[in-house]
Amino acid sequence: MINNLELTSTRPGITLAGFRITPAFAAAFCVLLVTAISLFTSPYIGMADNGDFYRIIYSNGLYFNAPDYDSQYFGYFVKQFGIFQYFNENSTMVVSSQSLFIKLAIFVNKLFFSREVFDIRFQAAIYTLLYVAAVYLLVEAITLKMSPKRGMAVAALAVFIFGDTGYTNYFSSFFGESLVMVTMILVFASWLLLYRKRYNDYAMLAILLISTLILTTSKQQNAPVGMVISLLSIPLVLIRRDKLFRWVTLLSAGLMMFAGIATYLNISKEFVNINQYHAMTRGVLMESKNPETALGSFGINEQYAILKENTYYDQYGTVDVKSELLDKNFYSRYGFVSILTYYASHPNELGSILDTAAESAYKIKPAAMGNYEQSAGKEFRAQSHFFSLYSTLKEKLAPRPFAFILLWMAVTIGVYMPSFVRSIRTRDFRGMQRLLVILATMLVGLSGIVVSIIGAGDADIAKHEFLFTLAFDLIIFQTAASVIGRGISSRRSVPSAPSARPLKEYPALNKGVGM
Amino acid sequence: MRRRGIVILLFIVLAGDLLPSAGPASAAASPAPAQRILLLFDSLAKNSGQQGNVAELQRLLAAYSAQVTLKPISSYEPGGMKGYSGVITVINNDELEITNQAYLQEAAGYKGAMLHVGYRPPARMQQTLRLKTGVWHRAGASLSIGGFTGIPVEVEGMPYITASDAGRSYGTWSSSDAGAQVPFAVSSGRSAYLPYLKQGDFTAIAAAYVLKDWLHYTAQPQMYLVIKEIYPFSDLNLLEQMADRLYRSGIPFIASVRPVFANTDFPAMKRYLEALRAVQSRNGSIVVNAPAVRPPINSNDRSLRGKMNQFINVLAEGGVAPLGVAAESYWTYDKEYSAAGMGFFNSALLFPDGETHYMEQTDTSAAFSSSLYSLPPALLQGVGRTGKAMPELPLNTAVTLDLPEDERGLEELLQNLNAEWYTFADYKQEAHTVRTDKHTLESADGVIRLDGNTLDVDYTPQKVAVDFQYKEKQATSFNRLFSVQNQFFIIVILAALLLFGGLLTIGYRMYRRKYLNK
Repeated sequence: MINNLELTSTRPGITLAGFRITPAFAAAFCVLLVTAISLFTSPYIGMADNGDFYRIIYSNGLYFNAPDYDSQYFGYFVKQFGIFQYFNENSTMVVSSQSLFIKLAIFVNKLFFSREVFDIRFQAAIYTLLYVAAVYLLVEAITLKMSPKRGMAVAALAVFIFGDTGYTNYFSSFFGESLVMVTMILVFASWLLLYRKRYNDYAMLAILLISTLILTTSKQQNAPVGMVISLLSIPLVLIRRDKLFRWVTLLSAGLMMFAGIATYLNISKEFVNINQYHAMTRGVLMESKNPETALGSFGINEQYAILKENTYYDQYGTVDVKSELLDKNFYSRYGFVSILTYYASHPNELGSILDTAAESAYKIKPAAMGNYEQSAGKEFRAQSHFFSLYSTLKEKLAPRPFAFILLWMAVTIGVYMPSFVRSIRTRDFRGMQRLLVILATMLVGLSGIVVSIIGAGDADIAKHEFLFTLAFDLIIFQTAASVIGRGISSRRSVPSAPSARPLKEYPALNKGVGM
Repeated sequence: MRRRGIVILLFIVLAGDLLPSAGPASAAASPAPAQRILLLFDSLAKNSGQQGNVAELQRLLAAYSAQVTLKPISSYEPGGMKGYSGVITVINNDELEITNQAYLQEAAGYKGAMLHVGYRPPARMQQTLRLKTGVWHRAGASLSIGGFTGIPVEVEGMPYITASDAGRSYGTWSSSDAGAQVPFAVSSGRSAYLPYLKQGDFTAIAAAYVLKDWLHYTAQPQMYLVIKEIYPFSDLNLLEQMADRLYRSGIPFIASVRPVFANTDFPAMKRYLEALRAVQSRNGSIVVNAPAVRPPINSNDRSLRGKMNQFINVLAEGGVAPLGVAAESYWTYDKEYSAAGMGFFNSALLFPDGETHYMEQTDTSAAFSSSLYSLPPALLQGVGRTGKAMPELPLNTAVTLDLPEDERGLEELLQNLNAEWYTFADYKQEAHTVRTDKHTLESADGVIRLDGNTLDVDYTPQKVAVDFQYKEKQATSFNRLFSVQNQFFIIVILAALLLFGGLLTIGYRMYRRKYLNK
């Protein structure tokens, strides 16, 4: 077996009081500090329930124990919940890997705090530790071989983007976004570390696989994630010549694909009510020039056009959204595939809803939910602005049309394409990985947009598009770090890891897969 | 069909002559201002046979236009009976003693009208009515009251009157198992005792006979036919067909229509209005059904008033006159729903509660000058009666049916209605008033007025335009310029492609000539 551990002498770092601080350590520490201040010191920050929490917590053994919980929906963050003391008769409503982390948090809570009351900060602590580790690996992968000064600049950028409380507030909530965040960064970082040949390849592959599996199964809308990563990770087979690694990589890709398909099959069963309603009323009907014709193409009574732009959450409506009438004459007439087919045959309407989607694609934190506890004395739905400059700027400054997303994707791919082509020419399979990881991240982000508009129209879109906003930030961070790493005018390139092939075959080794 | 209509008419005329209390129903005969009733209970009897009997009483009282304040006995406070014209106590638990001393003392000395329902009538009432009570633990019993005879009711743990020397008794329980015939209820002066009431069976109707006297309700009760579950996306052709068939059978009816709060300019809404106008022209009266309510996430949503106001205006401006509101009974115990949702109307139709989603619950109900008690036709179907026709019920009732799903369902509905010999009244004969910010709708003696003018309910079908502009055309500037520009670029690009192709061909030939000739 080839020893693929690289000496760490190329790691940038500065020495402080005899302790060598690398950019990765600095970034991870600062993110930990900011997050700890935000989530674990008074006033505690978190996210208010939008009505979704019950679906995940009741089946995991928790319940709402605050007598006035109902009045706090959307407005206030609630940090304590009851732990069922008797047989839990609630069946699983949502199959999600998030349950594993909730159960772990309950276990730790019982160990250190209480057997009756669950404090969400235990869950936040678990996510924070994982997140900090993910940020460490990400910055390590990106700043490897940079000068200490530039490495630290990249670390500062990492803290600015990933320390933003818009992201970390999710840890003090039962939204699946917290898990998406941790695992998506781990996927990106472990893949880049494989590209850099930093750490043991098997260990990195294991992180890539586990993170992808958790990410894919964390939310129903993440089904395409497993499929995309599975397909684009197949070239990882080539980065080493040993058969074991190749088989393990192929098996991993197979598992990711399986997770994606399994989650997809699960969607078709559970793609009902809320999202299905919105997919039609806030999607197809909203964008169609003639909603009655659109309904006709699904075999639905044209009179349902009257539901255009209605939401499932409307306090007062013409019809009970859970009624048998809708089950029989509306919901049963369409599904994910038929809506996908509809958009495929109506590109104008697809373009129009994509533009609507792009409007909210840069929001990290949905404005609908408050961040403070009721006891903090803030107004209903008050939001925390502590360390949230990046999320605020991003939301305010990002261009809105969907075409911008396409342009951004084209430019980014264009920027990394030369090094990719060079890697193919020199058969430097590790060097190819950087564009592949960027491409995979883009497609994952894009799937977030497409799945959310097909699956739920424009309803709750800011939250549904979280995967895109995170993917966008990861790639922007990678691109910005490439610029910082090279210096604006410098032509010096940052190399990928040395190839696993014998050196003499590749005289052009290390000739640059940089920006 | 026509012959049957004549027979019904004859019966109405005869019944009008024979029944002593019968008289013309008019706005003048409508009940006096709402009576205030205090309804106290020891338990709601959840998971027992009596579950729902308190809610049933609330609905019955509402049908007599009474304003009810509901309280558990345990939270009764001294002086709590002041200001009420009557007190009803429901005791559902035969074991637990009442420990609230304030209630016990004040109930013992209460001089107003008192009705006791359930176990353990108070000592004073037992004395006044010379009551002796017992409990049938399990018996098959039949109930006869008013014009109804021998209605079988399965009872379990039922308190009953073994002996009484009261001034008046209501109905008769007969039980072959217990081998006895005992009164359903008794009253004397201002005291009444009703041992057993169960939600959903005939005892609720029987209780109405007791309540009518106890409340001194004198207005002539009517029975109406109500068709509910009418949505804009229902089969509107079937709705019109049903209206037509009912009209031809001489059956007036009420259509409880679901409100629409958005997209009221859509062709779909126009077709809905067309169908409702057709219903109205076929002796159908329109009431607005309460909207479907989501569990309130917080109490900040105060949009109901505006939405209902807008919908009533849309109906009125579309030539449809809603005369009342239909809602689940709990709506009258919610400040927001009763004021913002039902406040436009003085007439209501109350359904039994389904899933309740209060916004701002209150213990005192909103009362309506005209209020109908909704009951399913199954309750009256095939019951024993003294004559062929359906006997008059003691309160204003709404025999409530869902809009059929298909023609077969419609046939069944018509057959069932004809088989039971109902006598349905025309809702617009009564006085109803609806007021919005723009319009006032009134009905009396079969005439509907919109803003003071008689509304012509004749219906002439109108074609609904299908070329509706769903999306506003975005204002565009320089359209002409851009179209010229497009054509210009198309020409330039085509020319460039041709030129490029030409150059390629020339280059390829030159290349071949240079190297192949070598």
